[in-house]
Amino acid sequence: MQTSFTAEQLRDPAIAASNQVLRTCVHCGFCTATCPTFVLLGDELDSPRGRIYLIKDMLESGRPATGDVARHVDRCLSCLSCMTTCPSGVHYMHLVDHARTVIEETFRRPWHDRMLRALLAAVLPYPGRMRAALAAARLGRPFAALVPGSTTLGRRLRAMLALAPRGQMPRSTLDGVRTHPAEGTRRARVALLAGCAQRVLDPGINDATIRLLTRLGVEVVVARGAGCCGALTHHMGRHAPAMASARANIDAWTREIEGDGLDAIVVNTSGCGTTLKDYGFMFRTGEAALRERAERVASLVADISEFLVRIGYAPTREPPGLTVAYHAACSLQHGQRVTEAPKLLLRKAGFRVVEPAEGHLCCGSAGTYNLLQPEIATRLRDRKLQNIRTTAPDLIAAGNIGCLTQLAGGGLPTVHTVALLDWMAGGPAPAGLKPAPPATGTR
Amino acid sequence: MSEALAPADEEGVVTALAEAYDAGVPLEISGRGSKRGMLRPVQAARGLSVAGHAGITLYSPQELVIAAKAGTRLDEIEAAVAAHGQHLIAEPPDLSGVLGVRAPQTLGGVVAANLSGPRRIAGGATRDHVLGVRAVNGRGELIRSGGRVLKNVTGLDLCKLLSGSHGTLAVLTEITLKVLPAPERCGTVTLTGIDPTKGVAALSAALGSPYGVSAAAYLPAGAAARVPALAWLGAAVALVRVEDFAPSVAYRTEKLRQELARFGRTELLDDGASRNAWRAVRDALPLRGEEGAIWRVSVRPSAAPAAAAAVVGAFGARWFMDWGGGLIWIAGPPSEAAHDAVVAAARAGGGTWMLLRAPDGLRAAASVIPQEPPALARITSAVKAAFDPKGILNPGRMYPGV
Amino acid sequence: MIAQPAPKQEVLARRDAIVAGLRRLLPESGVIAEPIRLRPYETDGLAAYRQPPLAVALPETTEQVAAVLRFLHEEGVRIIPRGAGTSLSGGALPMADAVVVGLMRLNRILAIDYADRCATVQAGVTNIGITQAVQGTGFFYAPDPSSQLACMIGGNVGMNSGGAHCLRYGVTANNLLGLKIVTVSGEIIDIGGAHLDAAGYDWLGLLTGSEGQLAVVTEVTVRILRGPEGARAMLAAFRANEVAGACVDAIISSGIIPVALEFMDRPAIHACEAFAHAGYPLDAEAMLIIEVEGSPAEQDFLLSRIREICERHDPISLKVSQSAEESAAIWKGRKGAFGAVGRISPDYLCMDGTIPTGRLPEVLRRIGEMSERYGLKVANIFHAGDGNLHPLIMFDANDPDSFARAERFGADVLRLCVEVGGCLTGEHGVGVEKRDLMDAQFTPTDLAQQRRIKDAFDPLWLLNPSKVFPLVETLKQAA
Ligand SMILES: Cc1cc2nc3c(=O)[nH]c(=O)nc-3n(C[C@H](O)[C@H](O)[C@H](O)COP(=O)(O)OP(=O)(O)OC[C@H]3O[C@@H](n4cnc5c(N)ncnc54)[C@H](O)[C@@H]3O)c2cc1C
Ligand code: SF4
Ligand code: SF4
Repeated sequence: MQTSFTAEQLRDPAIAASNQVLRTCVHCGFCTATCPTFVLLGDELDSPRGRIYLIKDMLESGRPATGDVARHVDRCLSCLSCMTTCPSGVHYMHLVDHARTVIEETFRRPWHDRMLRALLAAVLPYPGRMRAALAAARLGRPFAALVPGSTTLGRRLRAMLALAPRGQMPRSTLDGVRTHPAEGTRRARVALLAGCAQRVLDPGINDATIRLLTRLGVEVVVARGAGCCGALTHHMGRHAPAMASARANIDAWTREIEGDGLDAIVVNTSGCGTTLKDYGFMFRTGEAALRERAERVASLVADISEFLVRIGYAPTREPPGLTVAYHAACSLQHGQRVTEAPKLLLRKAGFRVVEPAEGHLCCGSAGTYNLLQPEIATRLRDRKLQNIRTTAPDLIAAGNIGCLTQLAGGGLPTVHTVALLDWMAGGPAPAGLKPAPPATGTR
Repeated sequence: MSEALAPADEEGVVTALAEAYDAGVPLEISGRGSKRGMLRPVQAARGLSVAGHAGITLYSPQELVIAAKAGTRLDEIEAAVAAHGQHLIAEPPDLSGVLGVRAPQTLGGVVAANLSGPRRIAGGATRDHVLGVRAVNGRGELIRSGGRVLKNVTGLDLCKLLSGSHGTLAVLTEITLKVLPAPERCGTVTLTGIDPTKGVAALSAALGSPYGVSAAAYLPAGAAARVPALAWLGAAVALVRVEDFAPSVAYRTEKLRQELARFGRTELLDDGASRNAWRAVRDALPLRGEEGAIWRVSVRPSAAPAAAAAVVGAFGARWFMDWGGGLIWIAGPPSEAAHDAVVAAARAGGGTWMLLRAPDGLRAAASVIPQEPPALARITSAVKAAFDPKGILNPGRMYPGV
Repeated sequence: MIAQPAPKQEVLARRDAIVAGLRRLLPESGVIAEPIRLRPYETDGLAAYRQPPLAVALPETTEQVAAVLRFLHEEGVRIIPRGAGTSLSGGALPMADAVVVGLMRLNRILAIDYADRCATVQAGVTNIGITQAVQGTGFFYAPDPSSQLACMIGGNVGMNSGGAHCLRYGVTANNLLGLKIVTVSGEIIDIGGAHLDAAGYDWLGLLTGSEGQLAVVTEVTVRILRGPEGARAMLAAFRANEVAGACVDAIISSGIIPVALEFMDRPAIHACEAFAHAGYPLDAEAMLIIEVEGSPAEQDFLLSRIREICERHDPISLKVSQSAEESAAIWKGRKGAFGAVGRISPDYLCMDGTIPTGRLPEVLRRIGEMSERYGLKVANIFHAGDGNLHPLIMFDANDPDSFARAERFGADVLRLCVEVGGCLTGEHGVGVEKRDLMDAQFTPTDLAQQRRIKDAFDPLWLLNPSKVFPLVETLKQAA
C-alpha cells in the first residue's frame, strides 16, 4: 500500500518500522472477516484493515491522536486473528503496539478512563497488589448491583467485580524463587515464567507445571528478578514500564543461561509467551549486546505445550472418559501459531477433544480488554460459550489464564491444559472435576 | 398476415428490422416456427424467420466452444459436437412431440426459450452456457454481448437477458455455446412402485448424495407406461441417472442402489435403456398424445408432490416430474378453471408456471406466465422499451402489452 | 489517480442535511461522517484509487436499506453499494458526493433447506460463511473466489465472481436461485425463489455481474451442493509455457474435465512456494495444479489417465498429493497467490482478462515482452481450463512513475486479451479500472444498448456511477 511519510519522519525508527508494515499490506481485506470486532460490529473501522488505515492516517499526519482513532484502536483485542489470516505477512501487532504508544502519548482520555488504566497498570503486574485488590473486590461484589448504572466507570467497575474469582484464593506452594530439581536423571533445565496475574488468580497452574516437568526429568527454575513479562502495560500503550519489565526478565534469564544454562524458557500463560517471543523486536534499536541477549531469550521461549511435545509426554492413568472442548487462546493460536500441540497432548492424555465452531474468534478476555471494553467482551464471551456448549463437552481447556477466567461461570469447569496433563500423569485432580481414575502405572 | 420475411444473413435481419422500426410494423419472430404455439399468440402484421441464416461458424473442441448462426438446426449442432465426443450441457428438449409440430427446432429458438432438459439440475440451464450472442434489437441495430471465452463478466450480461426472452427484446442472429465432453457411459437406478412423496424424498436423497447424480425424475404409473424403456416395470417409478466414465458409473449406481434401498426395490437400467428413458423424459413424451393444454410448473422440489396432488384433484391432471421434483409437466383440459388450478398449485409451492400449449383463446386470456409485481413490471416495460421502443418484436408474447 | 466526474456542488452543499437525514433512518453507529472515519472507506481491494465519500451508511435490515435508498434518491445523492470491499477493479470506489451503503451488517443466514438444496442468506454473509454453515452435513456452496474468506455474497453477485473450481461448478450466476433487491427508489422486489428458471425475463442473470449498477441486493438464495466423496490434487511441472499449454489441451481433448486446472508461471511458483511451502517445483517454467474428485478408486483412475497425458509432455516432475494436508497446502499456495506476491513486491495490479486457451503461450510471450518494455515484473496465474488469465503486475506505489507504467502495462495486457479473441474481465468486473477500455471490446451501439438498460433501472444514474461505462457516458448522463 502507498504511504506518504517524509524522509524526516522515516528517521524515527518506530515510524520506519510501521512504514514497513504498512507497505506490506496490499489492502486485500482478507483480515476483516476473521476479526472479532468486525464480526460483531459490522463496520470496517472496527476491522484490521480499517484500523491499519486509521493508524496510517494518524502516523502520516503526525498530529495527535483523536478520540475517533483512539476509540477504534481501543476496541482492538490484539487477538492477532488478522495476522493468522493475512497472506501478505503484515505484522499488525507491531503496528498496533506503536499506535497505542502514540495514542497514550498524544491523546488525553476522559478522566475515568485514565483513572482505570492507571489503576490496572499499577495493580495487575504485581501479585501482591493484585491479591489485595481482589480481596477488596470480593468484598465489593455484593455491592455490584449498587454501582451506578449508566456511567462508563460504573459499567467497568461492575465488570471488574464480576471477574474477581469466588471462593478462597490459595497461594502457590511451589512458585517462589527457587530451583526444583528433576526427578530421576535430569533431561533438561528450564526457566518458568511464574507470571503475575495468573499467580494470583490460579496458582495451581504453576504448581501443576512444576510437578509435571520435574516428574518428566526437567529441572525447573523460577529465576530471581524475573516478573511480569510487560504485556499488560505494553498493550495499554505504556511503553516505559513495559520495557522495564522486559529488561528485568532478560537480565534474570541471561544470568541463568550464562550460569547453569537453560534449554528453554517455559511459559504457561500464552498471552505472556507472545510478548516474550517478541523481545528481540522490542529491543531491536537498543545497543547490540542487549539486543543479542533479548534475541537469545526470545529464541528460548516455548509454550508449555510446545515444550511437552518436544520432550515427550505420556499419561499414567486410565482415560477419564471426559470430553474436553479445547479453546484455543488467541495468543497461542494467532500470536504464537501453536495450534496442534495442546490438542495432541490432550488426546494423548486420554481425553476426547472437540473443537467448537468459530475457534479463531477471541473469547473477549484479551488481557485487560474485558475490563476496558466490557460490552464487546461480554458479547464475545457469550458467543464463545454458545459455540462451546453446542459441542456438549464436560469441561473447557485452554492454555491461558485470561480465557479461563473469562469463560468461567458459563456452567462448565474451565481448566488449564497443563493441569489436565498433570492430572493424567499422576497429579491431583483439578478443582471442580470428578476424582481421577486409578493409576495403572503400566501405561 | 403477409408473407414472412426471411433474411438470408445478419445484414438482412438488420435491414428488415430497421425498416419495420421505421414503419412501426410489429413482427412475429421465429426460426422454423416449432415454438409458435408456446406462450401467448402474437399480434403481428408479418413474420420474420431467421431459418435462412444458418450454419456453424466456429467449433473449437479443446476450448469447449461452438458458435452457430441462429437459424442452424439444433440437430445439426448436436451431430457436430457428437462427432468430437462432446455434447450440449443443458440437454435441450425436442418438444415437437408435445407441441404437435413437425418443424425441427433451431438454435435461436432453443436459446430464446431457454429450454433445458433433465441435466438442468446438475449442469445448468441453456442460458448458463450461452457465452456470446449477436442480435438485432427493435431499432434495427446489431448488438453483441459476451464472446467466445468461457468466463466473461465484461459489462451487463445480455446473453442471459436475451436467453428466455422469447424474441421480445431482440432477434438473436448468432450464438456461442459452451460444450463439454459427452460422458462415456450412462446408467440409471430405478425405484418402482413408489408414491410421489416418497419418490421425491428418494430423489432428494440421491441428489444430496456425493455420487454426482445428473438427472432425477418421477413418473406415475400411467406416464411410465408410455415410455418403452420403463413400461416393463409396470408401476410408478423414480429415476436417478449417473453419467461418467464406465467404472465410475458402475461404482456410483451401485452406491446409489445401496443408498436408495431404504425407499424400496431398486433396478438398474443399462446404458441403452437409460438413454432411451431420459430422452423420453427430456422430450416430455409421457404426455405425447394428450389432448388439451400442457403446463410446465417449477417449484421447490419438496413442494412438488402436493402441487401434483392438487392438480390431479382439481381436474384429473396427467403429469410427471423432472429436475428432482422441481419441474412438473402437467396435461389437462384447456379451460380457465384448469389453468387457475395450475396457477394455485404453483403459487402454493412457491414457484412459477408456464402454459406451454393451449388453444389460442386460452393462451390469449390467461396469464401464461406469472404477472410480475408492479415494481418489477415497470422495470420489464422499461427494459423492453430499451431494446424495442416501438414494440415491434413479438408483441404480447409474454405479457399483454409488452 | 483516475479521472472522476466533478462532484455535484449542490449535494456537497447539503452535506449536513443529508447526514442528518441518514441519522434519522439508522441507529447511531450506522452513519459515519467524520472526515477521519471516512478515510478507511475511501478505497477497496484496488488501493491505488482512493476517494473518501460524503458519508457511509450501515443499514442492518432490508427495510433500512430501502429507507436509505429512498431518501438518497429523493435527495439526488449518488450511492455506492459496498460489501467487503475486496473488489480488484475499484468496483466499490466512492465519490466525493456519494454515500457508501455498506451491507456488512446484513450478515445473517436466514434459511437452510437440505431437501431442496438451497440456502437463503443476507448479502453481507461471507462466501465461505455459507459453506461453513452447511459443511457439517457434507454440503458446500460451490463458487470459491480466492477471497472467499472475506468477500460477501452480495459482492459476489455484484461481480459474478468465479473461483478455481468454477471449471466444474460454474460461477456465481450458475449457482443462484433468488434475490431480494432494493431498487434505487427504495422498492423491495423478490426475484426467483427456491425454484429453477423462473418465467419472465432473466433478472437473476442480468443482475448478477451488474456491479451495483441496477439495484442493491439484500438477500440471496443460492444452490448448495453435496460435496464429492473426496478430492485430490496433482502438481505437474513443465519446461516451457507452451508445453504446459499443450498438456491442458490434451487433457480436455481426452474427455476429462478436472474440477480445477490451474496454471502458474515461474515467478508465480516462486512467490507462492515462499508463502505456502507446498512443495511447488522451483525448477519449472510452468506448473499445473490438476484436481479430480470422487471415491479413492475414481480419483486413481482419473489421475492415472491424466498422468499418462502429462508424461507425453516431457514433464520435469509429477506429484500427486498424498494427504488432505498436502492438498490443503497446494491450495493454500494458489489461493494466497495474490497476497504472496504482496510479500515480494509492495504493490501489484491484478489483471483479469480471458483468452481462448489455445492462445496462452503467445499471450504469455507478449506479456513477457511488455514486462521488459515497461521495466516491471509480472507473475502469471491462469485458470487454464477456462482461459481466465491473472497477470500480477508488480510496482511500487510510492513511486508515481512506476504506478503510471503499471497502469499502461495493464491496459496493454487487456487490449491484447481482446485482440486474441478474449475479453477484458473474466471475474473481477470492469469497475472503475477497465471502464475506459470498454470500447476495445464493444461498439458504440453495444454500449448504448447497455446504457439504456441502466437507464431503465436507474434513470438518474445514482447507483455506483462512473463505473463499468466509459467515463464519457457518465458525463453525458450528468450533462
Ligand atoms: C486477494 C484477492 C483475491 C481475489 N480472488 C478472486 C477470485 O478468485 N475470483 C473472483 O471472482 N474474484 C476475486 N477477487 C475479487 C473480489 O473478491 C470479488 O469481486 C468479490 O466478489 C467482491 O466482493 P465484496 O463483498 O468484497 O464486494 P465489494 O468489493 O464491496 O463490491 C464489489 C462490487 O459489487 C457491488 N456490490 C457489493 N455488494 C453489493 C450488493 N449487496 N448489492 C449490489 N451491489 C453490490 C459494489 O458496488 C462493487 O461494484 C479477489 C480479490 C482479492 C483482494
Ligand atoms: S488483533 Fe484481533 S481485534 Fe485487533 S484488528 Fe486484529 S483481528 Fe481485529
Ligand atoms: S489481510 Fe493483510 S494485506 Fe490484506 S488487508 Fe489485511 S493486513 Fe492488509
